[in-house]
Amino acid sequence: MIAACLKWSAATGGWSAADQAALELGLQHAERTGTDCVAVTVGPAAAAGALGEALACGASRAVHVVVDGDLPSWDTAVALSAAVAEAITVWCGDYSADRGSGSVPAYLAALRHCEQALGVVEARPGSLPFEVLRRLDGGRRERVSVTGPAVVSVEGAAARLRRASLRAQLADHSARLTTVAGPPADHLDAPVVAYRPRARQLPAPAGAVALDRIGAILHSGTPARRGETVELEPPAAAAAILDALTRWGYRAGGAAPGGATS
Amino acid sequence: MTAPTTTTGPGGDVTGPHLTDADVVVVGGGPAGSCAALVAARAGLRVVLLERGPFPGSKNMYGGVVYPRILDQLIPQWWTQAPVQRWITRRSTMLLTDTQAMSVDFRSQAWAAAPHNGATAVRPEWDRWLAEEAAAAGAQVVCSTTVTGLLRDGHRIVGVRTDRPDGDLTARVVVACDGVNSFLAKQAGLYEHADAAHYTVGVKETLALPKATIDERFNVRDRDGVDIEILGGTGGVNGGAFLYTNLESVSVGVVLKVPKLAAQQRRPEEIIAALKAHPAITPLVDGGELVEYSAHLIPEAGLAMMPKVVADGMVVAGDAAALCLAAGIWLEGVNFAMASGMYAGESVVEAVRAGDVSETGLAGYRRRLADSFVLRDHRKLRRAPSLVLSDRVQHRYPPMIANTIERMFRVDNPAPKPGLRRILAEERKRAGVRVRDLARDAWDAMRTFG
Ligand SMILES: Cc1cc2nc3c(=O)[nH]c(=O)nc-3n(C[C@H](O)[C@H](O)[C@H](O)COP(=O)(O)OP(=O)(O)OC[C@H]3O[C@@H](n4cnc5c(N)ncnc54)[C@H](O)[C@@H]3O)c2cc1C
Repeated sequence: MIAACLKWSAATGGWSAADQAALELGLQHAERTGTDCVAVTVGPAAAAGALGEALACGASRAVHVVVDGDLPSWDTAVALSAAVAEAITVWCGDYSADRGSGSVPAYLAALRHCEQALGVVEARPGSLPFEVLRRLDGGRRERVSVTGPAVVSVEGAAARLRRASLRAQLADHSARLTTVAGPPADHLDAPVVAYRPRARQLPAPAGAVALDRIGAILHSGTPARRGETVELEPPAAAAAILDALTRWGYRAGGAAPGGATS
Repeated sequence: MTAPTTTTGPGGDVTGPHLTDADVVVVGGGPAGSCAALVAARAGLRVVLLERGPFPGSKNMYGGVVYPRILDQLIPQWWTQAPVQRWITRRSTMLLTDTQAMSVDFRSQAWAAAPHNGATAVRPEWDRWLAEEAAAAGAQVVCSTTVTGLLRDGHRIVGVRTDRPDGDLTARVVVACDGVNSFLAKQAGLYEHADAAHYTVGVKETLALPKATIDERFNVRDRDGVDIEILGGTGGVNGGAFLYTNLESVSVGVVLKVPKLAAQQRRPEEIIAALKAHPAITPLVDGGELVEYSAHLIPEAGLAMMPKVVADGMVVAGDAAALCLAAGIWLEGVNFAMASGMYAGESVVEAVRAGDVSETGLAGYRRRLADSFVLRDHRKLRRAPSLVLSDRVQHRYPPMIANTIERMFRVDNPAPKPGLRRILAEERKRAGVRVRDLARDAWDAMRTFG
């Protein structure tokens, strides 16, 4: 069995391009290996409609873990891992439509004690082993061989989701949709709306001519800050990374795993 | 479900006996389409609502103020659920010249309380909410699906063709709510001819500002909002401008007559930039971060451009039927779309139940439009578009009025105050307005708005 994990977003009423790519690759994988593709969503009742679209696209079954609110990434991964326990390969998008942290696939791999290939830009799924291409920093790529049970998270450009036929879209798919109750979730008091960046007042850039001012805005001509190489024992290295993330503002001082939202 | 036996062309001809896939196919998940689908689904008809965007409203834009009282008839206490940004409690009509501004500013706190008057709302939220109401009533909403043509049986319209695989859908009635420039109404032969002079192009910037800044600049609190309609500020292109407050953003935009815009070879974004740089506007929008830029056509000519709204097996509602009311200081399209969609839905239910979906069977739609504010307001304000967009109203009266007021309030001591009649006569001459034309326009304005 192949699984595709899809995060439904109330803001857009759908999935991110990355989740759509995950579903397409999951469907292709199932077709090439002659097995089932199961689409799984952890989300509110309204997400059921989107799972109907996954079924219209060709998923054999869908599992809806119903949670009424927002779950931390770790809890989302726990809920997903139960639903995809039998899957050999689990395809996920590497970001969700509501701009989550993208950490669910990694947690899921940790929970399943399986291989992980995250941030994949190209994949031709098939019988094991198969290869995927991962994005690395600095424009580099890494070719990774998936040799066993794995979680693969993909970028939106990795595949384009097929269009379901109108008949399939209109058909009643409820018989192939399993609904299970998820864990209790945090209730969001504020309604979820599409992301709109907040306005920020910035000082006007310096420079006598427009090109200089544009350069100042884009920081072009400023030497890029080179990465720092530290050689430490793993616990000290982990502490150094956490410390740097806190200094750069990515962590609100000492958050435990699962603190981020999915 | 039975597929049509033969189809041809971008639409197609269907022959042979068949059952239909749906009672009603509604094309377009804007306000007109969702209201039509809601009414028909509530009556128990099998309704499919097709929308080309990934969700209803995702592709839609407008200035930003909706007048939703027509929803009293569809969704009781709609104001408790509708996704509203702010309730309009201040309405200003502003007249701009290059350096001057004159406003008539009205405020009513009564509009802050239910059932309210106008509200600012963003279309992706508003349209989606209405479509969800239709879905809750039983309509099947299918998104990311573009209707590419009509299916016909002889001259009767019997369904639509979509861009999805296996994408033909037969229905007893098609409700075309596909917006301005409706391809479906044109394909059905309901429009006589297209004339660019009947359209304006609306262009809008959404500028994010903190709520506290908006409250302070526009002198409002809580969810109270402001609607400013502007005559002038369009860089010499005939049209109008607007500035509305959302919760944490403002919408500033212009509506421009298409042939004039083309003739002057101006870019709409330059015109908005100049509007934002006007001394009366800059303090309101300064520092706003551009979060959205959008543009859309408006069917501006009202009755002069309205197509036939009924054919055998099809009715047309909303902007697709040019029902938007664009009459100078009124720019109301969403309420006209919701109402016409509602009347289309009611008429379709009536026709389907009576077993007659021919043009005659669907004639109740035309009657409902005629008896309601939809056509009554259009009739009443039929002269408004040509009057408000005329060269005199656009280019000569604003400086005449603004200069008159400037001189009235100017203190030129030791010169004594001049009389208003003299100033007006001088400014009228300076603006090149003949008394005869002024009298005629005043008479027209009385007849139009009186
Ligand atoms: C700049 C501007 C400012 C405006 N300001 C205001 C205002 O402040 N207040 C106000 O009340 N009105 C305003 N209007 C007018 C208002 O936007 C329209 O009158 C109203 O949106 C019409 O609604 P509708 O449902 O008829 O069409 P639309 O809102 O245009 O909806 C049509 C729908 O059909 C879908 N569609 C189109 N073709 C197809 C197809 N082939 N297949 C499937 N789906 C299709 C579209 O994606 C869309 O969702 C403004 C318009 C503009 C352009």
